[in-house]
Amino acid sequence: MKNKHKILVNWVGYITVLSLLISCKHHEDEYHSITDKIEAKSKSFHATSTTSELHTKHLNTIKITEGEHTFLIPERTGEITSFACTECHSSPLKEMKGTASKKAHWNIKLQHADEHTMNCISCHNGDNMDQLQSITGTPINFNKSYQLCSQCHSKQFTDWKGGAHGKQVKSWAPPRTALTCVNCHNPHKPHFESKWPVRYNTQKIKERE
Amino acid sequence: MSNTTKKWFSLNLGSRKENASSSSCSCGKKEGDCHSADTSPQQKDGFDQVFDVPMDRRTAFKKLTASLLIGAGAVSTSCSLVSGNESKEKAQIDWEEQFKGNYKLMSEEEKKATVERLARSYELRTGKTINLSSQGPEENVLFGYAFNISKCQGYMDCVNACVEENNQDRNSQMQYIRIHEMKDGKGFNFNEADDNYYHEVPAEGHFYMGTQCFHCDNPPCTKVCPVQATWQEEDGLVVIDYDWCVGCRYCMAACPYDGRRFNWSQPEVPEAEINKNQHYLGNRLRKKGVMEKCTFCVQRSRAGKNPACVEACPTGARIFGNLLDPNSTIRWVLENKKVFRLKEDLGTEPKFWYFMD
Repeated sequence: MKNKHKILVNWVGYITVLSLLISCKHHEDEYHSITDKIEAKSKSFHATSTTSELHTKHLNTIKITEGEHTFLIPERTGEITSFACTECHSSPLKEMKGTASKKAHWNIKLQHADEHTMNCISCHNGDNMDQLQSITGTPINFNKSYQLCSQCHSKQFTDWKGGAHGKQVKSWAPPRTALTCVNCHNPHKPHFESKWPVRYNTQKIKERE
Repeated sequence: MSNTTKKWFSLNLGSRKENASSSSCSCGKKEGDCHSADTSPQQKDGFDQVFDVPMDRRTAFKKLTASLLIGAGAVSTSCSLVSGNESKEKAQIDWEEQFKGNYKLMSEEEKKATVERLARSYELRTGKTINLSSQGPEENVLFGYAFNISKCQGYMDCVNACVEENNQDRNSQMQYIRIHEMKDGKGFNFNEADDNYYHEVPAEGHFYMGTQCFHCDNPPCTKVCPVQATWQEEDGLVVIDYDWCVGCRYCMAACPYDGRRFNWSQPEVPEAEINKNQHYLGNRLRKKGVMEKCTFCVQRSRAGKNPACVEACPTGARIFGNLLDPNSTIRWVLENKKVFRLKEDLGTEPKFWYFMD
């Protein structure tokens, strides 16, 4: 008799445990939160068949590796009108000083930091105009001008490498192509102007009245 | 598609398919009586959901008040000697469209068929072709969105791009995205925020945040739909079957984020401005009395492109990507920036995060 009771109690126990197990795994509440879902599902992640290549193939890009991030950025030198600079700047800048040569780049006004901090040669290399240069004088290729910006804007640089600053071109899918600093900011005048919003919803105003 | 897998009652007017039945009966079956049951085992759907009880044809037509007009039109054109092949085809398409099932329950084949019909119907009506897709979700993809509130300047390029991309009604100036101008230091105070400002931006002492459909992982809107016309797809997109929606607007009431929009009138887009690259669940032309909302531009995102708002943003405040890809930029943002979501306490689990520089 006692044994029978024991079996019965055991069975009730089994069933409760079983039903608990089943109910916890029912479809809608499979994951407690979206972060759990992302974590669980991305463990088995393998590449998607969707790629960005179809949408970015017309772009001329170069591959860069910065820290743990490797991605593509648009090639720059081909975009600059009248590159290479040495086609005009045949002699070093120092020799041009004081000569009565024609003024060039009259339309460029430097509005970047203040004049105590920056002037033309903070970035441009006076001896080799086809190159930029870092604060310490290391030559920097025009294609990698972000290396100049990152000297001061280190926080933005970190965000840009990760993808929180700047823009991913055309496609969300890998391989990633990101716009580089100068694609959005004019390096001589990096601040965005204020402007009017592109639209106004007159219907909304009517509905509110 | 073969007749045996059809889920709707077929008129078979003889113009749409070459292998038209020679039977005089309009149900299109060559053998047996019109109402012998289909033997193929399948989910009850579309026509079957209404007609799964045995009944004679008279009762059937009585039940079909809403469809009578189409039926009558179809029959009259099919009997008429003067009406051309095109109008017969149109009537056939209208008939089949009327009785198609819920998109959610359709097989790949059926999805393709309805998309073909809709594209052909548009061609017959306007003489123009559209590219209508039924592309499904891809495995290993879960779409997510991040919005940088320190970057947004309130230019509203995103709103314009969205309206153009998604063929939204121009008369009512419907827009999925709202950009809220908020006072610094007041938190997210939607009562004092202005989502229809018109002055130079960014305005001093204000910040801007955008809202749209957040594609919640636990969406309240899909649960209240009495006809299951809205649901969450495998890649996380919350979508609507505009042909199955009855326009009750329960979902609109259930959404805590004002993410849904209703068509109070027949939406109109000037022919020249229609985006002809469309998706069944996305930007295809809607009708009066149905719900619509942001779909993360399903016609673009499933093709690998960024949504129109992301592409249009001049400040890079909008980030879109695959949450399951550990190397995606959206994942980097979630893991490295301080992110938060709107009304997180509701447990709706939006897949739309806000962050600051």
